[in-house]
Amino acid sequence: MQVKEYVSEKLREKYYEIEHPTGLRIFVMPKEGYNSTYAIIGTPFGSINTEFDLKDGRVRVPDGIAHYLEHKLFESEDGDAFAKYAETGANANAYTSFDKTCYLFSCTEQFEKSLSILLELVTKPYFTEETVRKEQGIIGQEIKMYEDSPEWRVLFNLLGAMYHNHPVKVDIAGSIESIAEITPDSLYTCYNSYYNLHNMALSVVGNVNVDEVVDICDRYLFEQEKTEVKSIFPQEPYEVKSDYVEQIFPVAVPIFNLGFKLKADRLHNEEELAHLDILLFMLASSTSPMYRELMDKNLINSTFSYEMFEGGGYSAILFSGESRAPEKVAEIIKTYFDKAKIEGLDAKDFADAKKATYGDALSSLNSVETIANMLEDFYFSGRKVFDYYDSIGSADANFAMKLLSEIDTKNASLSVVKGE
Amino acid sequence: MSTNIREKLADNVFFNEINVTRFKTMRLTAIALLPLEKDTASDFALLTQVLTRSCNEYPDFTALSKKLSSLYGASLSAGVRKVGESLALTFSIAGIDDRYALFGDEVSKELSDLLLKVIFEPKFTEGVFDTEEVEQERRQLIDLADSEYNDKRVYANSRLIETMCKNEAYGIKRYGSRETILKCTPESLKSAWERMLRCARFEVFYVGGASAEGAKEIFRDRFSQVLRAPEAMTTEIIRTASEVNRVEETMDIAQAKMLMGFRTDCSAGDEDAFAMRLMNVILGSGTRSKFFLNIREKQSLCYYCFSRYNRFKGILTVESGVENCNTQRTVDAVLNELEEVKKGNFTDEDLSLAKLSVSSDFLSLCDTVTGNEEWFVSQIADNEFLTVEETTEKFSKVTKEDIIRAANKLTLDTIYILSAKEEN
Repeated sequence: MQVKEYVSEKLREKYYEIEHPTGLRIFVMPKEGYNSTYAIIGTPFGSINTEFDLKDGRVRVPDGIAHYLEHKLFESEDGDAFAKYAETGANANAYTSFDKTCYLFSCTEQFEKSLSILLELVTKPYFTEETVRKEQGIIGQEIKMYEDSPEWRVLFNLLGAMYHNHPVKVDIAGSIESIAEITPDSLYTCYNSYYNLHNMALSVVGNVNVDEVVDICDRYLFEQEKTEVKSIFPQEPYEVKSDYVEQIFPVAVPIFNLGFKLKADRLHNEEELAHLDILLFMLASSTSPMYRELMDKNLINSTFSYEMFEGGGYSAILFSGESRAPEKVAEIIKTYFDKAKIEGLDAKDFADAKKATYGDALSSLNSVETIANMLEDFYFSGRKVFDYYDSIGSADANFAMKLLSEIDTKNASLSVVKGE
Repeated sequence: MSTNIREKLADNVFFNEINVTRFKTMRLTAIALLPLEKDTASDFALLTQVLTRSCNEYPDFTALSKKLSSLYGASLSAGVRKVGESLALTFSIAGIDDRYALFGDEVSKELSDLLLKVIFEPKFTEGVFDTEEVEQERRQLIDLADSEYNDKRVYANSRLIETMCKNEAYGIKRYGSRETILKCTPESLKSAWERMLRCARFEVFYVGGASAEGAKEIFRDRFSQVLRAPEAMTTEIIRTASEVNRVEETMDIAQAKMLMGFRTDCSAGDEDAFAMRLMNVILGSGTRSKFFLNIREKQSLCYYCFSRYNRFKGILTVESGVENCNTQRTVDAVLNELEEVKKGNFTDEDLSLAKLSVSSDFLSLCDTVTGNEEWFVSQIADNEFLTVEETTEKFSKVTKEDIIRAANKLTLDTIYILSAKEEN
């Protein structure tokens, strides 16, 4: 069993990466002085993985099945995992995103028992016709709750406008119709394909040490034969499908999402990601001239935000906020990005943006939850956590300019949700 | 475990130092508590926004933002929240701990100075707040107040409180109303600012590894120059509901929102307050609660259904999102689960697990910077500040009989239903 140690003198942190004999990848970051321990186990199976190749052929499963499976894994033959966690005082949850499903808990005592519940939960599926059917009512209401969320609607409308074919445009929970097609069989197919320890990663952070975690994994996990599964994504054109989409919904203040669609043949590495974070801070944070103009013209309010949005086969820069004139906002954002391409980046502003990005990243190392999620995300994206921090420190403006040149402001969609 | 070293700096001005070295950042928060009133709520809400937008030394938000960005992306934030029938005006600054500065800079001292400047040295034009700055923030505050309508769960909750507490100060929204926001002027903001400095009860919280002496001394010095006249604050507690008020509204949405408000005959400082908090956990908070296990898991009626106990106002509220046709069924299910607790139909294990769950949550809270602050801030209207151990100790003494007695104090006051428009 290989244990690799990663140390950052500057951040005064270290963590370990373990290739467990069962195939599971394990990350452990002990945090001195902390009361709690946070553990999360994930598989790269999210809402976009609805088509995949197995040894004996291609499979197509209903939209929303990854999320449905997440709900159903909480049940086992001997009862509900929430009830088991309650006995240890752990706080447990799970989530499904576009490209992965994760199960987690945080606890302050009985770590071993809590971790064993987590490991059993993902290794011992149990579905029957009846338990699967029962979940339709609950998830149906979850879908409807999101239907009433204008933030959720404006995002999925945007994704529908940006993407022609990629399943990132489909609601994570699917639809009332698609989840009606889910059966115990289709759940087992997904489970057997993706919930294989060779595909999964466990991250544990907090009041814990490596030996403890490995010892528990030794006792509760068994070696598994590696499964071969390959997600299939349809061909996606470079251009956005449509540059504008609008929905009428009872809102008092209209909301918008603007997306610059980027090439997505591979994920950005640590260095690129660090530079993009600095670049976006310079161009779009509250210190930027762009933000100033948007505010002075009464076009945005403090809900304005931006993010890098990417995963398997999709990549975009998103801006969101409330505005009574979203088209003007989009116009101004595009102008500033184009202008920066011509005029370059101010050295003092770049240095300040580096410091700010560093400070922001540093604060994520306070929370066991944030760190564990970061270890998990970075692993599935093929990145290393400390390399990202180092890249911020050594970032240079020329490389940021190169990344800026790859942002095509003409390849953009605007999504608006407004009242009648 | 985090302890709070509390020191009085001036009449009703307290500095709370929570010294922890395990974090990479520090945080300094000043909270001003003032009475919640219809005519002044908007002035105070707008004041917090205007004060943190600029100050005398950094006279517009770009200059202030650039200063923050040069301090390793420090963040300055402000807000208002209701604590019982008081309004808590919150001013916070957070940034990296000196040990992690790349160039050996003394960041925490600069951050403390900046927060003080923002509170005590606003940018004035002709002796009052700058008209343009006020207009910018007014527009944004109106957006903020309006956007409550965007989020249907927030909106429904707000309508429940408005309906249930229409004759109490608690029915006033934390930003006031659109009308009162429109009435604010640079002059009225200045009066609000002066009243805040003179009359509010101040609680300052410092969470960090570096010494808080510097920050404490500047606060002491600033307040020594203010003629203090603290105001008394009270909250009206209506102990029981005389009849059930039912309000139904419709909107073009996908899912109906069902909310209920109970009077609890029990508020902060009452003997049963700890029992009521545990009763709430057993009834409707978390994945082991009766609501989760029965209304969601057994009956598949909803995705969420939970209860929340507000000890500072002595009310307990229930929220759920359901099909239109299931609203009454859900109301009945909630009352049924409450009836079970009233009759004592829960086990000793349920009670001990509820205790375990709260103590574990408390301990976890101390593992974040904001959690450490929140632990004490959440007790701001209690008579005393307790540590996690002291609180856990109080909970450990609650018995099954106490829970039953607490449950039996609940009386239903209001049912609010926001139903989806039926499709034709």
